[in-house]
Amino acid sequence: MILPFFGIALILSLLIFLFPKRIIMATGSVLFVSLHIVLTVYSFQNLGEWDTAFYRFDSLAILLNALLSILLVPTIFHANLYFQRHVKDPKKESYFTATMIILATAISSVYFAENIVIMWVSIEATTLCVTFLIFHNRYETPLEAAWKYLFLSSVGIAIAFLGILILATQANSPEGVNLSISFLTSVAAKMDPFFLKTAFVLILTGYSAKLNVFPLFAATIDAKTVAPSPVNAIISTALVNAGFVAIFRIYTVINQTSLNSWAQNVLLVTGLISLSLATIQLFRIKRYKRMFAFSSMEHIALILIALSVGKPGYYAALLHLIFHTLIKGGLFFQFGQVRAFFHSGWIKDTGAYFRLNGTGALAFMLGIICITAIPPSGLFITEFLIFKALFSTGYTIIAIAVLIMLTIIMYIIFSKTMHLLFAKIPEIFKPEAVIVNRFEPISQFVLFGLVIYLGFNPPALLVDLINETIHLLN
Amino acid sequence: MVIVLIILFAATLVYFFLSERVYSFIWLLSIQGVLLFGIAFNNLINIQPIELILILLETLIVKAIVVPWFLNRLHRKNQLKKIHESTVPVFYSLIIISAILIGCFLMSYTIDNEIIQLRFFTVALATVIGGMYFIIIHKNIFSHLVGFLIIENGTFLLSLAVGGEMPFLVSLAVLLDVLLAVLVIGVFLNKVSDTFDTISASKLNQLKD
Repeated sequence: MILPFFGIALILSLLIFLFPKRIIMATGSVLFVSLHIVLTVYSFQNLGEWDTAFYRFDSLAILLNALLSILLVPTIFHANLYFQRHVKDPKKESYFTATMIILATAISSVYFAENIVIMWVSIEATTLCVTFLIFHNRYETPLEAAWKYLFLSSVGIAIAFLGILILATQANSPEGVNLSISFLTSVAAKMDPFFLKTAFVLILTGYSAKLNVFPLFAATIDAKTVAPSPVNAIISTALVNAGFVAIFRIYTVINQTSLNSWAQNVLLVTGLISLSLATIQLFRIKRYKRMFAFSSMEHIALILIALSVGKPGYYAALLHLIFHTLIKGGLFFQFGQVRAFFHSGWIKDTGAYFRLNGTGALAFMLGIICITAIPPSGLFITEFLIFKALFSTGYTIIAIAVLIMLTIIMYIIFSKTMHLLFAKIPEIFKPEAVIVNRFEPISQFVLFGLVIYLGFNPPALLVDLINETIHLLN
Repeated sequence: MVIVLIILFAATLVYFFLSERVYSFIWLLSIQGVLLFGIAFNNLINIQPIELILILLETLIVKAIVVPWFLNRLHRKNQLKKIHESTVPVFYSLIIISAILIGCFLMSYTIDNEIIQLRFFTVALATVIGGMYFIIIHKNIFSHLVGFLIIENGTFLLSLAVGGEMPFLVSLAVLLDVLLAVLVIGVFLNKVSDTFDTISASKLNQLKD
């Protein structure tokens, strides 16, 4: 199933690229998203099965692919609005759509890859796609962001490859080097601890550019600052999840050895440094997208901290990842509307959004309530579980430090949001230039509603998939 | 024979820090490609046609010809300066790269693993660290690309050091991926040069809040 999926996706993107007509773009996008949903359903029906020698349908991959399918549906609609407002050139639109299809395909390939080299190749493919998507409108600032993203990610990916090569020294099977996760997991206990530790640190460092955490977070932050909202809705969520999968797979391997507590400490340190940097950087932000980018860094840092606690934190970490994906996607979709109102992404250029666009402002407010983990947000429950895990396992000082940092972040995000919603109408605001679509906030209400519902009443299917993923670690 | 090639490879690494001329960088990358072919060819236990083709493609064709040609084209098209000075004086860089080589040599011999070929591993590790240092001490993005390619060469040498061979399709995918990344980075370098009229990394600072 997975190879035909890749083949069809490639053909669709080629057709869209070669024939830049809106009807072809629309049909191709709808076909691709339908195909992606079919892949999710098929993978769920074949849970645990292999697909070719390099891919496997495991619970984590299915969960994250389902989230990507969910996000792709509104992305078509919001990408169309983005074209109407900012592009208006069928050639550039087709270029954008074709690259988006390849990006989503590469992300799915990362999720389902059972071989860490295939995963590496797919991650490299996402880097190239994101670079083109950032720069598709060919302005100066996106070019700077695209260059930085491409270069830093490529260096990161080269570092991750070093880690893979070091892991390869420990992965000799009778048929040669075997870099499938299942094989690595089965021989993990026999691996040399020094090599395993080195590989883990290199892979974590390399993929930190995708995961948006310390040390290579800078490239991702800049990319998110300038990327169009529909692109941001994918790269701040599904692509971050791809980075998470890559780290999670290696963590699964190291977790089978006596080095698991060492790996947890590495994750804890990475999480704490990332959270501290996000808190410090948020004091200086002047643009909403940058604020959301650092907010993503904060949430991923929290997920790493939850993983570092061990068993008590696993469920919370995975649920947090799911909720963050849905909320951040919705927030970026809503920000597309904010930008269409004020024609600027700078905080100083916005204000009185509640008065100007009540429904959009309500969606934005709900999104901010959800992302800052205020009840009834599902993130409140996951953060509560994370703190419970931290306190119950004796990480009291760390829990208090994290609580303080989250409070500061919450204050900054709310103060910036209040400016958008209730400040004076900015002088540069031109009512005649506003392009409104009254259906635009619907996707956000659905996504935020889903987070609230899933927080209170997670269906058995979701809980089973999460527990199945936790089982991979044990 | 192979030890001579490895020593020559280490010498090219040192020469990167002695030189400030762009043409020297391009030539050195090309020479490293040829040396990598020699090392990889010597390292083949059983010469299988497919493996030989892949090594030929990766080293002689891509690393020694295609990438240097592409860099040369980039350099000419953008009329870049002939000399790219580093922020650290050559003398200090020379001491630092020597220290990196000695450090890697000492560290490698503390590793007790029969799979790793230490003669490759020492230089491979030094090349990767040297590549990163090269990026840090240069302020223009063309030199950053050269640094990235030094890291890639170090990675290739490391893959020889760890001995194991990947399946053919996987190796091919890695090769295509790296080639594509280098070409795309080059294309973007072109665009940066056209748009900003400079390739100085310090001018790329519009994104800061």
